[in-house]
Formats: sequence, structure tokens, C-alpha cells
Amino acid sequence: MTGVELILLLPLIVLSGAAVAVMLAIAVRRNYLAAFLLTLLGFVLTIMAVALSPGGPQRNVTALFVFDDFARFFIGLITGAGLFVAVLAFDYFRQQRGQFEEFFIMLLGATFGCAVLVASRHFASLFLGLEILSVSLYAMIAYSRDREISTEAGLKYLILAGVSAAFLVFGMALVYAQTGALEFSRMPYITASPDEPLDIIVLAGFGMIIVGIGFKLALVPFHLWTPDVYQGAPAPVTAFIATASKGAVFALLLRLFAQTDVAFYPPLYVTFVILAIASMLFGSWLALLQNNMKRILAYSSIAHLGFLLVAFMGRGHIQSTAAAFYLTAYFVTTLGAFGIVSLLSPGERDAEWIEDYRGLFWRRPFVAVVFSVMIFSLAGIPLTGGFVGKVLVILAGEQAAQWALVVVLVTASAISLFYYVRVVGIMYMPAEAGGADRPALPGLSLQGGGALACLTGLLVLLGVYPGPFLDLVRDMVTTVYAGVLPR
Amino acid sequence: MLMELWVVPALPLAGFCVLALVGKRLSRWLVAGIGAGSVGLAMVGAIYFSHDFMAFEPTGHLYRESLWTWLNVGGFSPDIGLYLDPLSVVMMLVVTIVGFLIHVYSIQYMAGDEAYSRFFAYMNLFVSSMLILVLADDLLILYLGWEGVGLCSYLLIGFWYQSAANARAAIKAFVVTRVGDTAMAIGLFLLFTQLGTLDIQEVLVRAVRQWPVGSATAIAAAGLLLAGAVGKSAQLPLQVWLPDAMAGPTPVSALIHAATMVTAGVYLIARMHDLFIIAPPVQTAVAVIGAATLVLAGCSAMTQFDIKRVLAYSTISQVGYMFLALGVHAWSAALFHFMTHAFFKSLLFMGAGAVIISMHHEQNMFKMGGLRKQLPFTFWTFLIGACSLASLPLVTSGFYSKGLILWSVWATGHPVLWGAALLGEFITSVYTFRMVFLTFFGEPKGEVSARPGPIILGPLVILAFFSTVAGCVHIPRPLGHFRLFARLVEQALPVPPMQPLPIATEVVFQLLMQGSVLLGVAFAYVLFLRRNDLVAAWTARPAGNALHRFWFSGWGFDWVYTTLLAKPYVWFAHASRDDAFEWIYRGIGAINRGLHEQLSRTQTGLVRWYAVGIVIGAVLLLGLVVFL
Repeated sequence: MTGVELILLLPLIVLSGAAVAVMLAIAVRRNYLAAFLLTLLGFVLTIMAVALSPGGPQRNVTALFVFDDFARFFIGLITGAGLFVAVLAFDYFRQQRGQFEEFFIMLLGATFGCAVLVASRHFASLFLGLEILSVSLYAMIAYSRDREISTEAGLKYLILAGVSAAFLVFGMALVYAQTGALEFSRMPYITASPDEPLDIIVLAGFGMIIVGIGFKLALVPFHLWTPDVYQGAPAPVTAFIATASKGAVFALLLRLFAQTDVAFYPPLYVTFVILAIASMLFGSWLALLQNNMKRILAYSSIAHLGFLLVAFMGRGHIQSTAAAFYLTAYFVTTLGAFGIVSLLSPGERDAEWIEDYRGLFWRRPFVAVVFSVMIFSLAGIPLTGGFVGKVLVILAGEQAAQWALVVVLVTASAISLFYYVRVVGIMYMPAEAGGADRPALPGLSLQGGGALACLTGLLVLLGVYPGPFLDLVRDMVTTVYAGVLPR
Repeated sequence: MLMELWVVPALPLAGFCVLALVGKRLSRWLVAGIGAGSVGLAMVGAIYFSHDFMAFEPTGHLYRESLWTWLNVGGFSPDIGLYLDPLSVVMMLVVTIVGFLIHVYSIQYMAGDEAYSRFFAYMNLFVSSMLILVLADDLLILYLGWEGVGLCSYLLIGFWYQSAANARAAIKAFVVTRVGDTAMAIGLFLLFTQLGTLDIQEVLVRAVRQWPVGSATAIAAAGLLLAGAVGKSAQLPLQVWLPDAMAGPTPVSALIHAATMVTAGVYLIARMHDLFIIAPPVQTAVAVIGAATLVLAGCSAMTQFDIKRVLAYSTISQVGYMFLALGVHAWSAALFHFMTHAFFKSLLFMGAGAVIISMHHEQNMFKMGGLRKQLPFTFWTFLIGACSLASLPLVTSGFYSKGLILWSVWATGHPVLWGAALLGEFITSVYTFRMVFLTFFGEPKGEVSARPGPIILGPLVILAFFSTVAGCVHIPRPLGHFRLFARLVEQALPVPPMQPLPIATEVVFQLLMQGSVLLGVAFAYVLFLRRNDLVAAWTARPAGNALHRFWFSGWGFDWVYTTLLAKPYVWFAHASRDDAFEWIYRGIGAINRGLHEQLSRTQTGLVRWYAVGIVIGAVLLLGLVVFL
């Protein structure tokens, strides 16, 4: 291993090192604040390592990893999400009784798994990354042990993730059996031999891989676990599942099918179109009359992953740029939304019912305005990052001539407005008279309020002045096609 | 030198922003300071720029300031820019000076009101919009200001929104002017599709080049713009909203519904004069509308009880004079009368306001009387305003401006219109002095509770001064022939096509006009001060009573509109409440709700069912992949 390779690996090294450091620190002396600060330091150092690493296209490190700009972008994004989740979790668990220092080890571990996923170019590293992520998530979801719903959610996720991982491994095995390849770049590439039909076993293998990935992304029909787990998990963990976990798997999907282009073989392509349409529509319908904030956001995330798939349905710079931008806006928005749920949760339970938000504006104007901005961004209202993201995705779908997908996207957006605007409306209604017996809202800490302000600012910046960021995304993300597509 | 003109409209806008955002937390003195101060600074700026403009005489007598390009789509690239020429100089000066004085007056007038900061916020927004309107160099920006003043007018008429009548008056004003605004918007679309630009100067140049005089397109475009002007300026047939607009606070009536906003139509026609010149039928329509309005509104003013409604009808009538002048190409006369009218009418409104608050918010003139002794200050300033409105000779500004209009109407060869205007002079002096006699003379009927303070009287004195001397900027030939104002305005607007008539003729016509004015004063003196029984006797007769009621109700326009338009429309709206389109939307809602309920049943919470879901999905997916 050369020195350059070591430098390229630095983000992974720092993340795993931070996890070990937190573990050792806890072994020496239990201190919640110290564990938190050490975690923050770990995330910040990782981001610095990402920023300073040389980058460029095709930076392979061993047969397992590639640290090109694409990987750097997503590692940076995921680490940023991890950072915000750490801030939210710090406030969230401080309200509860018990010892929560180890939570930060899990968080660093899960982020490490995500980073491995987005940097992997090999089935082995893919599977390892996915399992590191999943194992950390089982524990994180069930972390509020004294809450039945949390334990139940953890168990559900364990069983169902196990089922889906079985599909994934079996799919990999089938592909390996026929092609003898575990590296993405050595897998079938249609454009090389367009006339030759793909082997049916290879197709079935990829089909099973899609099942495994579809479970992680909560695409319809593999979505059934989403609301239960989102509702049961502690709110900061839900934020992590909705952003970092899904973002990493989506990045992996992008890389896998950028390198192999088997996704554009008609049967698989049709599969993706159906998954996208079903996710957009079913997600929106399921959320329609929902009264639980966390479940609304769960269903809305199903629909959002469907929107993202629309950008995935073409191969090119526009599509990958649109997907990455949309994902970034979605990260910021979802972190903000779950961040508010998390910060407003009093110790006993989460502030998850829509009624908890009635008249929020009159009690907490700042939080209500931030929440409104987040929801407007989710709905794709102009001047927010969500709007620009949606425009880019529609543009990408139009470039790929996927008119059916675009029409469904617009329809689903229209349906989704109903439940988004409903939440905003409830926040601005007068708080009813019997509101006194509701549990008092916890005060907003400096770091919590700062995080929310930061996310709001970012979101509005992305919506009002997206140019510079868009250029950055384009330059970084399109390296995924290096050696495959002409620039 | 001329630069940074944008500061003038930006200052009140900034005042609005501050007051709207944090106004509730500021002290009342700070609110007043920001509200009046921002307009005061804008006034200083306006005076400074006007001085520069006249001192340096920029090439072509105009100054353009391009700020930024709003957007650029398919050849449509409106530049946000400002345009200063003598026409906009006059408008800008009047708007800021009168606006500032009224803001100062409001500091005390509105002192007891709870929504103090809201009032000043709206007023500042209004001044800013009005300045944008008069300084715009693009019809789109002008339209922005146009709608902005309409919005502020709506907000301020309904300022005391707790009373349903005020809210109704606000809605009426908004809806009626909207009729005109819609026509104007269509006119703008027409201009843009035909001429490919909305830049005002470019529109005028291209219109004159492309359209022959009297061509149908020119007539349509000018006619649509005229409809907009008629709505905003409360002229026939859209004048019905202005008397009801008096529901707003008196300073609002003074600023918006007398001095500035209602003259926006006059400004629009003067600004687009080249377009109106190539559409002679529309030009004639302007004159006829003006003449008809001034007589009709004058008759209604003679019958009102409410002092503010008298002034409202009088405003309609005086704006009618301006339209008449525009219609006979006497552009500078119209603008001259706009300026003097702004001074004396806002003076009258503010004087009326001082009377009203002194009389426990009593507005009925028949319950006043004898206030000459109790409110001497108010009386003298009000009297100066009234003399100017009635255009008593030599010492009032109204004498010079209306004299110029009447002379221009005759000299451009419109004897019938001149006759109407002369009749209007008589009516004007009757209702003006009826108001003065009923309010300030005779027996005291009510008691004076509070005397207006110095902040209220100060602006009255300043405006009384302007109402007296503003006429001196243009003195007719028989009295010395001093044409400062006309010379200035004629740098921007064409010279009216007047026949060269001898001075003796002009003297005769001046005397005729003065005769009718003095006759009117005498008439009012006899009827309303000496022989009150005469009026009572006339109105007791059926014919007299009917005429009185007819005039009092504003010639029945409200009744006609309600019966012919509003009621059928409401009926239709009710009738189509459950039509087929409604079913479509309900159906969409029902379908989505049904789908939600069906899909929700898949969320059982059972792990075994979820695992089966994954397996079924996988089987379907594999089947698709393998068999397709």
C-alpha cells in the first residue's frame, strides 16, 4: 500500500479511529459530554480529511475501494449528516434517564459503514459496508430500551434486514457464478456487445440485488417496514436512517449501475420504472390522512426515493447531477424535519403526533418557521432547495424521455401537497383552550437551535442561489462515469 | 448631479419594511418618526433631484436610471428603471410634499389609534408605490406601482376592519377599480404583442411609427388604457367606489382619495399622450367623460350631508376637469390643476378631519354650524381651501388652474364642453360654500370637545399657503402672461393646439367664469344661510324630492350595478354551486382518500406479513426480469 493510498483511505481511518477512541474513553471514564465532543471531533476530522484528500477520477485503492470525487462527495455529505445527528442525539438523550455514551460508538460505526458503501467497487466491500451499517442500526433503533415500541422496531428491522440481505448475497452469488467477477467494472457491459442478450442467471442475480437494495431504500413493495421502524426508533436515529443510510445505498446504486449499465437492459429498466412509479404514488397515498408526524415523514421518504429514481433512469451527467443535488436537498430537509421532532420531544415520548404541533407558531415561532421551511422544501415550493432539486429531477426525466415518470412525479407531488400543507396549517392555528395539560416543550439548546438555523440557511441558499453548489456537484459526481462514458 | 434617484421610492419602502416587521415593538414616537421621517427624507430627496433636474437641464429634458434587468425571456426583458422628466418631476414633488404633510398631520390625528404602526406602515407603502408609479420608465413597473397603490387603498379604506361597513367599502373600491385594472392589463398585453416592448418611450415611438392616426389597434389600446384610468380616477362610469372610500381615516382620504392616487389616471393619460393623440375618438371620449363626470358629481355633492362625502364627490368632479383638459390636448392645464387640486383638496380634507375630531367624530354638516368662532384657525385655513376649490378670483390657485382649463377648452374649439365646464364652476361654488356655511356659520348645533393641536394645524397652514400661491407659476395673458409651469411641462408634453384669439376675448371669458363662480357663492349664501326654508320647500315637493334623492344616491349608479351585475352574478354563483365540475373535484378527493384507506390496511404491524411482502415483491420482480 503506497502513501497516496493511505491518504486516500484517511476518511475511513479517521472514522474507525474515532469509534475506537470513544470506546476507550468510555472505558476509562464515563462522561456523556466528553463522548459527544470526541464524536464531533471525529466527524469534523473526517470532513477535513475528505476535503484535503487529492480526489479526481478513478482513485482505486486495492480491489475493494475507489476514492474518486464521487465517493468524496457522498462521504462528505454522509459525515455531515452524522454530525447533525450527533448534535440532535446529544440533546435528545440528555432528556432521558440512563447511560447513552455508547450510542456515539454506534453512530460512528454506522457512518463508517455508509462511507465504505459509497467507496466500494467490489461486492465484498459492498456487503461488508452494508452489514456494518445494519448491525449498528439494529442497536441504535432499539436504543431506548425501556420503550416497547423502540425494541419492537429494532427487532423488526433485524429480521427484515436479514431477509433482504439474504436476497442480496444470493444475487451476488448468481452474478459471480456466471461472470466470475466481483468487481463492478468487470461485470457485463451491454454497450460493449449490444446484440448479445444477457444471461438469464445474471439478470436474476441483479434482480435479487435490487430486492436487497430496494429494501434499504424502502421502495415499494419493499417498504412495509418503514413506518413502524421510523416511528419506533428514537427521532435522531430515524433522521439517520432516512438520510445517511438511504443516501449511501443510493450512491452505491448509482455507482453499481454506472459501472455496469445492466440497469438499462430492458427487463431491469422496466423494473426500475415500476418501482419508481409505485414508490411515488403509494408513498403519497399512504401519507395522505396520517396523523403521526414520524409516519408522515416515513411515507414521504418513500415517495422521495421514488422521485430520486426518476433521476436515476438515465445515464448521463444531467441525471447524476440531479440525483446528487436532490439527495443533498433531501438530506438537509429531512435532517431539519426530524431534528425538530427530536428537539421538541420531551423525555417521556417523542413529539410525534400531529396534535403536538397545533399552534406551535404561537408558542415557538422560530421552530414553527423552520419547520414550515423544511416542509415547503419537501413539497418543492420555490425558494427552497427542494424546489431546485425537483426541477432538476424533472429535467433529468425529460432528458431521458421518461414522460410517464414525469407525469407521475407531478401527480404525486400534487397529492403530497395535501399532507404537507396540512401540517403547516396546524402549526399556525390558534392553540386550543385545553392545551395546558400537554407536556411542556423542552427548551431549545444553543447547539440545537444553531443546527436548525444552519440547516434552514443552507436550504434557502440552495433554493435561491444554487449555482456554485450545482457546479461543484456536477464536477464531483460525474467522475463516477470515468472510464465508462465520454465526458 | 442626478444619480441614485431610486432612493426616493426606496426610503418609504424601507420605512414600510421596518414598521411592518417590528412596528409593534417600537414606541409610538419612534413609529411616527419612522413613518413621517422616511417620507420627509424622500421629500428632501425629491426636492434635491428636482432642483438638479432644472438646474442642469439634462439632454432631452429627461433622465433615465437603469437599475437592473428583471428577467430575460424570449425577447421580453423588462429593465427595472426610473424615468425623470418634467411630468414626473411635478408628480414626484406633489406626492412627496403633500404626502409628508399628511404623514405629519396623521401623527396627531391617529394618536389614539391602537394600530398606530400598521397605519404608518400602509401609508409608507402607499407613498412608495405611488412614487414607483410616477417614476417608472416601463409599463410593467408602472403597473406594479398601479397595483401597489390599489392594494394600499384597499388596506386603508378597510383600516378599521372591525366594522363590516368599512370592510364592504374597501372591497367595493377594490373590485370596481379592478374592472378598470383588468382592462388596463389587457391593454398592456395588446401593446406588448403589437409593439414588442413595454418600455414607455419605446412604446410611444413605435406606436406613432406603426399605427396611422385613427387605426383600430391604436383606438383599442388607448381605449383599454382609458378604462384603467377611469377606474383608478373614479370617473364615469366607474366612479361609484370613491364616495364609499371615505370610510377610511381622514388622512387616507386626503392623501390617497384626493391628492395622489385618484390622479394616477390623469398621469397615465398624460404619460401615454402620443398614443392618445393617434386615437382621436378615445381622446374625445376622455373629454366627454371628464365633462359629464364633473357635472354629475357636482350635482351629487350639492345634496350630501356628510362633509367627507361632499369632498369625495367634489374630488370626482375636479378630476373630471383634469380629464376634460386632457381630452382637449391641454396637457399642461391638466397637470397644473392636478397640482393645485392636490394642495387645496388635501387641505380641505385635513380641515374637515380637524372639524370631525373636534365634534366627537360627527360628520353630518347639519349637526355642525357656527364653528367659525370656536375653531378660528381651522376655519380660516378651510376657507382658503374652499375659495381655491371654488376658484375665487386672483388670490386662489384654483382660479389660475381652472381658468387655464376653461380657456383651453374654448380656445381649442369645444364650445359645448366649455358650457358644461362653466356650469360645473357654478355648481362647484354652490356646494363648496354650502359646506362652508353649514359648517362654520349659523347657529352652533354641537359642542366642541377638543381643539386640534399644533401638529394638526401646522400642515394646514403650509397647505393653505401653497393653495394660495401655487397659482402664481402660471398667470394668464390678461394678468401678466407668466408661463413658468407650462414652459416646464411643455418640455415633456406637446403644446395644445389653441387658436390665436385676441386678449379681449380671453378677458371676456375670464369674466364669464368669475360671474358664474360669484353667482354660485351668492346662491349658496341665500339658500343655506339666509333662506333655509327655500330648500326645505323645494325638497318637500315630489319632483324636488325625487331629484334630491336621485342626486343624493349618486345618480342611481349603485342601484343599476347592483341590479344588473351583482345580483345576477351572485345568483349564478349560488346556482352553480353543485355543478358537474364540483363533482370532478370531489371525486378526485374521494378516490385519493379511498386509496389511502385501502393501502393503510397493508400496514398491519406484523413482521411475518412484512416478510411475506418482501417475498411477494421479489417473486414479482424476478418474474418480470426473467420472463420479459
